[in-house]
Amino acid sequence: MDPSVLTTLKILITGESGVGKSSLLLRFTDDTFDNEQAATIGVDFKVKLINVDGNNVKLAIWDTAGQERFRTLTPSYYRNAQGAILVYDVCSRQSFSRLDAWFDELETYATNTNIVKMLIGNKIDKDRREVSREEGLKFAKKHSMLFIEASAKTKDGVQMAFEELVQKIIQTPGLWEADVTSQRGLSLSDRTQAGQPWSCSGYCSMV
Amino acid sequence: MDDIEKNAARLGCLTCPSVILLPGVGTLVKTEFKLPLIHKSSKDEEENTEFITRSWMIPDMFQFENVGFSKTVGNFKYLVCADCEIGPIGWHCIDNKTSYIADMRVKHMES
Repeated sequence: MDPSVLTTLKILITGESGVGKSSLLLRFTDDTFDNEQAATIGVDFKVKLINVDGNNVKLAIWDTAGQERFRTLTPSYYRNAQGAILVYDVCSRQSFSRLDAWFDELETYATNTNIVKMLIGNKIDKDRREVSREEGLKFAKKHSMLFIEASAKTKDGVQMAFEELVQKIIQTPGLWEADVTSQRGLSLSDRTQAGQPWSCSGYCSMV
Repeated sequence: MDDIEKNAARLGCLTCPSVILLPGVGTLVKTEFKLPLIHKSSKDEEENTEFITRSWMIPDMFQFENVGFSKTVGNFKYLVCADCEIGPIGWHCIDNKTSYIADMRVKHMES
């Protein structure tokens, strides 16, 4: 195990088909958006290293791609997740309307009661917008979620979204555990307990 | 055992800057695995695979720095670059939860 890794977190990405969940996952640290190899078999999950406030955190990011067509994902998908990202397409009213159902499912199956949730309005690079930024923000506020609008295609906001999510998880006591093998030289627990002021209380506006 | 060989360099993607494995994490093993080619050259499925004989074994998936796992195909998941998704660069065995990176499908990066 990499000695400098603070913890490993499970992050889920859910939402309707076609809202760009897979692209968000791919786009996270990547500069080559177009890749013909990508869709052949389909990626199930990824292990990714992210640095937040000087701490290396390893993420296991699960993409529901494909499974969401069955409407209800298996409860095991949600088990032990510390973070969940709900995605809709700002150019699809239907994908926004379905958020309630996705949120309910998350509330039902998430085993961590204080799981950190983030709402992402994706595809802001497209010009046929059907859902305003205010509507997204309102939904996020109502459900105490972080909120960001993003474009996986132009990479706008994607990296920041993951960083904000991880930051919020790290600042939530009891939600994560330091990797026992990798605590050398790290004193983040003190800082976590002190409760760093979090600029976004419940929801967040970054675009 | 004196002849255990670990990867001395970081292992990275051949086509993008993504780091896959840190030095000393993978163990060199002899394998006989028929891995699909990254670029298909023929319609014949047999010709579109190659035998991987030299691989880096990784027992725990969280030992990777960055990697993607494909959906399950038979008893395996294919490994792809987490960033550009080129692959397969290796495979993951469902039965023993062990992953293997094909040495010829990754770059030995200078640190």
